[in-house]
Amino acid sequence: MKGVALVTGAGRGLGRILAAFLAGQGHDLVITSRTLTELQDVARSLESTGVKVVAIPGDIRNPVHRTSLLQETRAIRGLSLLVNNASDLGEIPRPELASASLQRFRVTLETNLVAPIALIQEALPQLEQTRGLVVNISSDASQGGYKRWGIYGSSKAALDLASKTLAAELKPRHISVVSVDPGDMRTGMHQDAFPDEDISDRPLPEVTLPFWAWLVSQDPEQIIGMRYQAQGTLWEIPA
Amino acid sequence: MRGHDRDDVRLIVSTPEGDTHHAFTELPWLLDPGDLLVVNESATLPASLPATSRLGEIRLNLSTRFTDDLWLAEPRWSPSRPGPLPLIMNETLQIGEARAVLLQQYPGIPRLWFVRFDTPASILMAKRGEPIHYSYAPAYPMSDYQTLFSRFPGSVEMPSAARPITPHVRDTLRERGIGIVGVILHTGVSSLEIEDNTVEHQTLYPEVFKVPEATANAVNRTHARGGSVIAVGTTVVRALETAWTPKGVRACSGATGLYIHPGTSVHVIDGLLTGLHDPITSHLAMLSAIAGLARVKRAYTEAIRNRYLWHEFGDSHLLWRQTAN
Repeated sequence: MKGVALVTGAGRGLGRILAAFLAGQGHDLVITSRTLTELQDVARSLESTGVKVVAIPGDIRNPVHRTSLLQETRAIRGLSLLVNNASDLGEIPRPELASASLQRFRVTLETNLVAPIALIQEALPQLEQTRGLVVNISSDASQGGYKRWGIYGSSKAALDLASKTLAAELKPRHISVVSVDPGDMRTGMHQDAFPDEDISDRPLPEVTLPFWAWLVSQDPEQIIGMRYQAQGTLWEIPA
Repeated sequence: MRGHDRDDVRLIVSTPEGDTHHAFTELPWLLDPGDLLVVNESATLPASLPATSRLGEIRLNLSTRFTDDLWLAEPRWSPSRPGPLPLIMNETLQIGEARAVLLQQYPGIPRLWFVRFDTPASILMAKRGEPIHYSYAPAYPMSDYQTLFSRFPGSVEMPSAARPITPHVRDTLRERGIGIVGVILHTGVSSLEIEDNTVEHQTLYPEVFKVPEATANAVNRTHARGGSVIAVGTTVVRALETAWTPKGVRACSGATGLYIHPGTSVHVIDGLLTGLHDPITSHLAMLSAIAGLARVKRAYTEAIRNRYLWHEFGDSHLLWRQTAN
């Protein structure tokens, strides 16, 4: 029997196709996103797969919501795969950091950095029991220093460092944490980031499926602390 | 198949100066003491399964293992008749008592599907599998699809370049002071049907590989002493070039999607020992990256004129790089 996965931001884009792929492989799922109609649509589309799918709409910045997600995973068999995918791009159009709204910046940091760490903290007892895997979704913006990407980029850079730190801290408890840069994809968020651009040359998020198939097939303890590029040419298992 | 013994095949040697013809057993004298052969130690699986579908009896050729119950696989009408078949997501195939669900098509390669089995694929292969082959004629016995160096099961098509290396040739190489070390790269199904005629656009799926530390060290030592490193097969090129860094080759394992074509650089290997294959996009792209398209074409013309035997049971080709290291 496959494990129980929690995917945040599962209503559209990468989260949606990843949830469907995991369901197809036999993972039971708890999925969440802020938009009820989208989430219900995803849950309905997974009915035929035969796995258990619990869909709870809400904002992962809300501690009550986080607790209810993890109650559901515990009620199934305990969480073994946590995918922190829900992300906030920040103000649109993307402002320069020098003049960005600090209040809006805090919302991005809450969603992209604090909430994932909060979910991990609260999920530790379950992850310890299942020797589980945490996947934090990152971005090449975390390393770029590109103009007007300072809000999103710095939140993801911080998340990358949190991933590495947690990986080291949680290794003795047999919990693995990795960070994944999915690469450019034709998603709603990518369109938001480039509002006036035609993004039809970017691949659909399905382009990352081979990577996800590979990642969830690995022994989590062999890949602790790694940062992967889903569209890269090498997915390495460290020596 | 030519001759009685595996080394009873011909060898065309391509250098920038021209092509020469040899018996394969001359290989040890065509290399210098201190040179290093790198072979693929992956062994071949009986990866072709008979399956019953909504469309009738078909073949399911396994390609790439993720876990024992999740594979990338190619449904075909028959060994000689490729797809794509009009199959749909979540459709079920029957393999004996076992069921296989088609989860998703591979992005960019619609003839390949992610397939989930309710019984470990290793059990299905042991019971019903046969070697993948593409002709009307039946497959050869499984042992014909292994080489002297096949140690780690995982390939679905024979890494065939080492096939003519017999114990006699191996021992002669060693006596001449030519080293032999191994990497592992588990091959997926070959691109017999081209997906895209533009060489840079070819989509390749990743393959599981390992370059052990001892092999990385042997490659670096060989280069430090001025010797040549010869990849035995394009799979070895893929593995070694993936493990390349500006400081040399490092121990490395995982999955590689590296695609070597004329627009990329080849850093590690000085020569490639390979079979003569149909000029499918990805194979020709790698050969051209090593020696340039003109030289590859020249060698193939020369081989055709001299009636060399093609494919994995045929004759052999030693291709030296464009510029010596």
